[in-house]
Amino acid sequence: MALDRRRINGPEESFPPIFDSDALQWKVGDARKDRSPADIRPIFLQPGLISQANGSAYIETAKTKIACAVYGPRQSKNTAYSEMGRLNVEVKFTPFSCIRRRAPMRDAEDRSIAVAIHQALVSSVRLELLPKSTIDIFVTIIESDGLDGCVASGSVAASTALADAGIELLGLVTSCAASVVGKEIWLDPTEEEGRLSKGTLVLSCMPALKKVTSVWQTGEMKVAEALGCMDACQEKCTEIHSVVAQALLESAKI
Amino acid sequence: MSSSSYCLPGQPIPLPRNGPVPQLGGGIYVRDSELRASLVGIPQQEGPVLSISRVRPRPPAINSVVLGSVTRLSPLQATLSISVVDGVPLPAGEEFTGVIRSQDVRATEKDRVKIGDSFRGGDVVRGVVISLGDARSYFVTTARNDLGVVFAVSEAGKTMVPVSWQSMRCPETGRLEKRKCAKPE
Amino acid sequence: MADSALKASIFQRLHPRAYLERFVAESVRPDGRPFDAWRDVSVNVGSISTANGSALVRLGETTIVCGVKAEIAEPELDAPDQGFLVPNIDLPALCSPKFKPGPPSDEAQVLSDRLNEVLSSYQHITSENGLTTCSRTASSPLQMLKTPVSFSFGVFDATLLADPTAFEEPLLDTTISVVVDENGDLVSVVQLGPGVDTGAADTLSTCISSAKTRRVVLGGQIP
Repeated sequence: MALDRRRINGPEESFPPIFDSDALQWKVGDARKDRSPADIRPIFLQPGLISQANGSAYIETAKTKIACAVYGPRQSKNTAYSEMGRLNVEVKFTPFSCIRRRAPMRDAEDRSIAVAIHQALVSSVRLELLPKSTIDIFVTIIESDGLDGCVASGSVAASTALADAGIELLGLVTSCAASVVGKEIWLDPTEEEGRLSKGTLVLSCMPALKKVTSVWQTGEMKVAEALGCMDACQEKCTEIHSVVAQALLESAKI
Repeated sequence: MSSSSYCLPGQPIPLPRNGPVPQLGGGIYVRDSELRASLVGIPQQEGPVLSISRVRPRPPAINSVVLGSVTRLSPLQATLSISVVDGVPLPAGEEFTGVIRSQDVRATEKDRVKIGDSFRGGDVVRGVVISLGDARSYFVTTARNDLGVVFAVSEAGKTMVPVSWQSMRCPETGRLEKRKCAKPE
Repeated sequence: MADSALKASIFQRLHPRAYLERFVAESVRPDGRPFDAWRDVSVNVGSISTANGSALVRLGETTIVCGVKAEIAEPELDAPDQGFLVPNIDLPALCSPKFKPGPPSDEAQVLSDRLNEVLSSYQHITSENGLTTCSRTASSPLQMLKTPVSFSFGVFDATLLADPTAFEEPLLDTTISVVVDENGDLVSVVQLGPGVDTGAADTLSTCISSAKTRRVVLGGQIP
């Protein structure tokens, strides 16, 4: 890789330490560790932490920590006249957010998560009210414990930040991930659990309108399993919706 | 509106039991013949209009009253960097670009308007958005008594006071400079 | 927002310099601080499990998250017993409308470089512990020889302001930053712009003694 003169550079090559005993002791048929299959990690959600942004939210689900800020509506620059507003989502991992150190450059993973979050949110925003304008959503993943969890938590944080920014929404978007592990469906998988699973599905929806905004499935699963994942996720999304509602009401009343 | 509690985006808003169906203002939409909130806030009825309002920076819309400073002048138009929309300041760095075309400077004798005799760089101007304009800018008019330059600095560097709708005086040198002034409140 | 608060914020937006001048004339700053007062600082360590070390620092409304990733690399030929310390400051677009997405801005590059100078050229850190296998259970932290802390000042209209905010910063004539270690020794001093002629002591020595006093106050919060 070329030397990046805009940053302080380390040695050309470096390796993450390899630990002596690491392997996960789990085999098919064993029960899930720490929680039951239908449980999600507890959510801490705080809107409005970033004072310079028009709206913002910080979300923590166990180890996963994500900050999100909304700027705009800004005047769209360098684009043709458009009757509809544009929604721009950018995702960034901190270099220390994953087990492996991440290079500061943007990579394909950042982009695919940004696309997934964009997809989850875009149909909930009343973009027809914002001609010629762009809403920028910046998501920084401070610590990741499972990429699917990052998509789900990132979408929830972004929707909360949009509401905090006073941007007109059809409804609040909540999102939940589910993995097929063995014969079971485990909700909100961690990074470790994600490695055990064959396939994962992230469902985003607007519980107030009973409408799904996005389904994002990776890996392989049977149709019946996919439907089972969707049902389980949708149920949890309603619970997450009340967490978001409470966080927004508390911050609005201050 | 009887309910005085907070609504969240997507939440149904109960219609008043008696009385006419209200007109919809900002922050509320209809879907499947049901009223729903699209902002966090308390629905309030003012006359026939039911709305949820939030004091947040927003982009200019038609009929928005804007404040901005003049950044560029040409014989045809003055370019404005809009920093306040409908009384709400936009964050620094988030300005919208507006233009005042020479035919939109004043209501009368439009063809005799000289942009250079109406605005100078750095002037703060109050205007009203007349159209969304083109890809680059919003079209703004000052053709009303209460619209025009609200703050300007003289060539001597002092804040000037308006003396008529088309001139301002420097308090230090006493010299008059030409501007399309807004009538002071 | 109340009507008067909105009017004040419009005035602040259109005439930032005059807005700050009026506060300074009343011997107070827009956030209610006296000229020489500092914003509250909170320090939280070790909350990020994917980092080998981490800190979350809040300074007023500013939040800084720092993570350390340790990796193994071959040393340079001319310094076989030394490792590498690679500090970088990122100013993501998330933080402020002034920051744009993309590669590091000039500002971020300058800040990274200054951080690098403070951390590396004075050899505050030794990293020799002779271990070759890594253990997840036993960790041996880097030995810090010094713990430098940085303090910033600004001059506005011949008034010295401690710890300027994002609103005050672009209006300043002079910015000064002083880095002091736990013994009160100077590590780095940067002054950009002219000093003020107050007669008594020159600006820079006022800043340095103020930074030393503040370093003692903050001492307990830094592990």
